[in-house]
Amino acid sequence: MTARLEKTQAITPAGGRTRAGNRAVLPLVLGLPVALWQLAFFVLPVIFLIVITFWKVRSFRLEPAFDLGNWEKVLTSTPFQRALVYTTEVAAIASLLCMLIAFPAAHAIALGLSETARRRWIAFLIIPVFSSYILKVYAWQVVLSPGGVVNVSLAALGLPQVDLLGGALSLNIGLLTLTLPVVTLILTFALMGVDRSLLEAARNLGASGGQVLMQVTLPAIRSGVGLAAVTAFLMSFGDYASPVFLTGSNPPTLSILIVDTVKSGSQWPRASVIGVSMLVILALAFVTVQFLTQRRAGGAR
Amino acid sequence: MMRAVIRNLYLAALAIFLLTPMLVVVVFSFDANRFPTLPWGGFTLAWHREALGDALIVSAMWNSLIVSLGTAVLATILGFCAAYLDYRYRFFGKRSLMLVIAVPPAVPVTILGMAMLAALSRTPMFGTPLGVIVCHVAIAVSFAMALIRLRLGDLGDDLEQAAWNLGASQRNGLLHVVIPFCRPSLIAAFCLSAAVSLDEFMVAWFVGGVNETLSVRVFNLLLGQVNPKINAIGTLVLATSLVLVSIAQMSARVGGTRKDAA
Repeated sequence: MTARLEKTQAITPAGGRTRAGNRAVLPLVLGLPVALWQLAFFVLPVIFLIVITFWKVRSFRLEPAFDLGNWEKVLTSTPFQRALVYTTEVAAIASLLCMLIAFPAAHAIALGLSETARRRWIAFLIIPVFSSYILKVYAWQVVLSPGGVVNVSLAALGLPQVDLLGGALSLNIGLLTLTLPVVTLILTFALMGVDRSLLEAARNLGASGGQVLMQVTLPAIRSGVGLAAVTAFLMSFGDYASPVFLTGSNPPTLSILIVDTVKSGSQWPRASVIGVSMLVILALAFVTVQFLTQRRAGGAR
Repeated sequence: MMRAVIRNLYLAALAIFLLTPMLVVVVFSFDANRFPTLPWGGFTLAWHREALGDALIVSAMWNSLIVSLGTAVLATILGFCAAYLDYRYRFFGKRSLMLVIAVPPAVPVTILGMAMLAALSRTPMFGTPLGVIVCHVAIAVSFAMALIRLRLGDLGDDLEQAAWNLGASQRNGLLHVVIPFCRPSLIAAFCLSAAVSLDEFMVAWFVGGVNETLSVRVFNLLLGQVNPKINAIGTLVLATSLVLVSIAQMSARVGGTRKDAA
């Protein structure tokens, strides 16, 4: 690794002047551990996952091979195809809902509140991002269950019981719990970067609130909106806890198929095929959104 | 006026939605009823006591403590190295390195867990807290690096160069100028990495084997029937996360730029 000091060509640290090779030692000492770590525990496992998709299982043991049979079996199997369509559908709807709910909130926080209130809201939104998701899913499970808080309250008011658990409603509540804080934060930061004088100018020129939003605000935060949407999709697409505990794995998502296949023992190659397929879909979603937000950015100018 | 009222109502609704699940766990951990629902069955510490008397839960607490601390220490060190490297140097492969540090949190944990299990199952680390630590570090280093890199952006070029001018070696400049300047962000990175590790259950479940962390214990209890001990552990986990994330936020906000502080 040949490293160069950035922006500091004129003055070099002591030692660097005497021995030319010395300057490369520190960056190597700093960089090698983290590079090797990510290689060993992230890159190689993912590559290994891809390799396994071509391996064979013989008498419950994995054997190295180059067999396309796993791919063929999984991709043509009905449970996989159903789960693929269902998971994509769930993630798309959940992301759309998340964006629709998060945007007004982010708009209010970034452009409507005082500096202090805004800082408090950002601090508040960061907490759920880093506090146990599995516990929150569990909490929704008991709140929405037949004997839970909602139904007991309804009964006390003399209203009929509702079946909240195990449908699209409970699933989306769970997914929104996961995605709303992050997505609201991304949109808030994007909106905070918008030039306020631009918005004022548009308003002074007689644009309505809706016109300002559609023609000034949204185009200005295009890439932020793209990032927020991809994040929401990615999180809902890969989630395991909400589909398991809020719909009882019925119908199963791709993540559930993976866990079931892995935990049942021997079908590692097939589970890997599902995993790699998911990664391909997520990469495609990312590239598509990147392409859309960047191309429109070019077209607007 | 009307607009402000609507705006505040909307934000209040969002806050209630985000707070409800956390409050439910905490409030019902003190409810004497076995099933967490209304009406309130009276205040009790029975579930907390029962949870603390459960050998599996206690060992999960120890595992979580070891795993979170180990992850926090390693992720902070590696995160600092990566952040400084990104701040100070230009080298071949820098973009790729930053990519493999940034991407792991974006990969669904089911896939990450499966891949890490497949790789680790052939090593003696499988099924040990160490195995969980190495995997959690690969995820958490992304957050640690981001926090520290943000702080380094405020350092400016002159301070480190002044140290070099006065004859300090690059190593000494790093130790006596850069690291002290980064201390608040190092604390923030430490706490946030610990919080990430404490809450992660999928990779820990796959890789940890019988060595369950608290989040894995909660997950396994959930696969069974409703158990009031979950609320008790949950209260402990949520309180710990809240403290860690709050410390991280306060530390990350310290100082602003160096020029402000001076």
